[in-house]
Amino acid sequence: MLKNKSKIIWIITVTSLFVGVTLFLLTPVSAHKKRHSAADMQAFDDAYMEVVKMGDALFHGGGPQDELGITLSKTGMACAMCHPFASDVHPHQFPKFQEQMSEVAGLREMINWCIEKPNEGVMIGIDSEAMVALEAYIMWSHKGTIIEPGTH
Amino acid sequence: MAKIHPDQQEMHKVLGGQKQKPDNTMSISRRTFLHKSIISGGVVGAATYGWWPLVNTIDIAHGASNLNFAWVSDTHLYPKTLNTRFVDKAVRAFKEVESMKPDFMIFGGDLAQKGDPEELKLGAQLLKAVTVKKVFIPGEHDWYLDMGALWTKEFGSSPWSFDLKGVHFVGLDTVSRAPDYWSAKNMSPKERMGHMEALDGSVAGPWAGLGQEQLKWLDTDLSGLNKSQPIVIFSHNPLYEYYPPWNFWVRDWREVHEIVRPYSNVTNIHGHTHQVLYNEIGSMRSIGMLATSWPWPYAPEGVPKLTKPHVRVDPGDPFDGVGWAKHRWSQQDRIDHDYMMWDRDVYADATWDSGTGDNPGLALRSRVVDKIWQYE
Repeated sequence: MLKNKSKIIWIITVTSLFVGVTLFLLTPVSAHKKRHSAADMQAFDDAYMEVVKMGDALFHGGGPQDELGITLSKTGMACAMCHPFASDVHPHQFPKFQEQMSEVAGLREMINWCIEKPNEGVMIGIDSEAMVALEAYIMWSHKGTIIEPGTH
Repeated sequence: MAKIHPDQQEMHKVLGGQKQKPDNTMSISRRTFLHKSIISGGVVGAATYGWWPLVNTIDIAHGASNLNFAWVSDTHLYPKTLNTRFVDKAVRAFKEVESMKPDFMIFGGDLAQKGDPEELKLGAQLLKAVTVKKVFIPGEHDWYLDMGALWTKEFGSSPWSFDLKGVHFVGLDTVSRAPDYWSAKNMSPKERMGHMEALDGSVAGPWAGLGQEQLKWLDTDLSGLNKSQPIVIFSHNPLYEYYPPWNFWVRDWREVHEIVRPYSNVTNIHGHTHQVLYNEIGSMRSIGMLATSWPWPYAPEGVPKLTKPHVRVDPGDPFDGVGWAKHRWSQQDRIDHDYMMWDRDVYADATWDSGTGDNPGLALRSRVVDKIWQYE
């Protein structure tokens, strides 16, 4: 009696496994993700460009610094005064060995270095809203630039 | 790096096609060398900072005897309470000029950052350290808060000209004739100045230019001169097309070159670009001056082929990549043009140290927020 019960359980398990694997293999891989409409793509772009615009404003000495509780400069200088069109930032070369820090650093670390040293401001959170915005603006400004990480 | 703009190609075709060059009795020798500062006394800390200006010697043949003048520009002063760094550097430049006792000093514009009366009056006060003759041309930062009222009151109007020891000097106003971008948008004076203040802004448009009235004045002013007389034209902006998006030009450069074309020995000395620049177009050579405040990066395109770019600067060193300039006509008929760059060598030897070395492969886009209509 016990032996028959074990046999039945074994058969049910193997059958279930077979059916499950078969269904998994036959199901389209994209089934877990809905397709994107043109409206979706526009919404993504709108969200991205809002961040880019904030980054542009912050980069030029404006933007919601008070609301975000940040001080990017205490000298009157803004990022764009040394980096018009975000030029001379070289985002395409990061991460790279950064002499000022004597280590391989990412773009966000260098942004904070500039805020603290030349601008005499207060460093911002490495994952903060303002940091993401600054990075978004800098990268947007360099769209199409060839990526060359690690170069001086 | 983008291709040369069609307008620049046209410029070279029209002016270069005639095989016209600046007077061939003058050529850049490229005999560049480092030497210790000739300044002694009056400059505290020069040795500490390792001040090693680089001399770029230009040979010229004409009859002028000893003549020295100094150029200082682009101090971009803020109120002392906000930024002492720029004040310190302006003070240093004026002290060094005063200790040289040149025949005169030209201040080439952008004394102030926001055109604020406090900034302009601070500049006027600092300039008192220079007791030799001083002449002035305005920069856009001096002008667009009150449309040049205080600048003109303190430093006089432009254009002007004078002769000294056989050289004809001209000072132009390249900044005051911006197309009106403010009235239709009901901008306040501060908003107007704010858009002018951003080098990479697009709202102020192609603001740099001489205008028809000043072009006529220049034509008339030069008309009585011998065609081979040395002429030095001071302007805030370069008198050729380098990079219009940052107004590294004057919009009516074609007319300027038409006017100076009959004269064989014309040198344009300009500020605004905050970087080492050299160019020759037709009969005119142009030399870009350093700022005392901060250096601009080279534009992503349009850097004249004749320019040997300066070294990439250290952003942590406020005295790097900045300075002033002196020019000397010697009895041996030479012009010595000296970039008095503080702290570092002027020119880069290797591509990776060059201010233009990163331009190939670089793509840049203009600002996005300027495209938002902020004024109702």
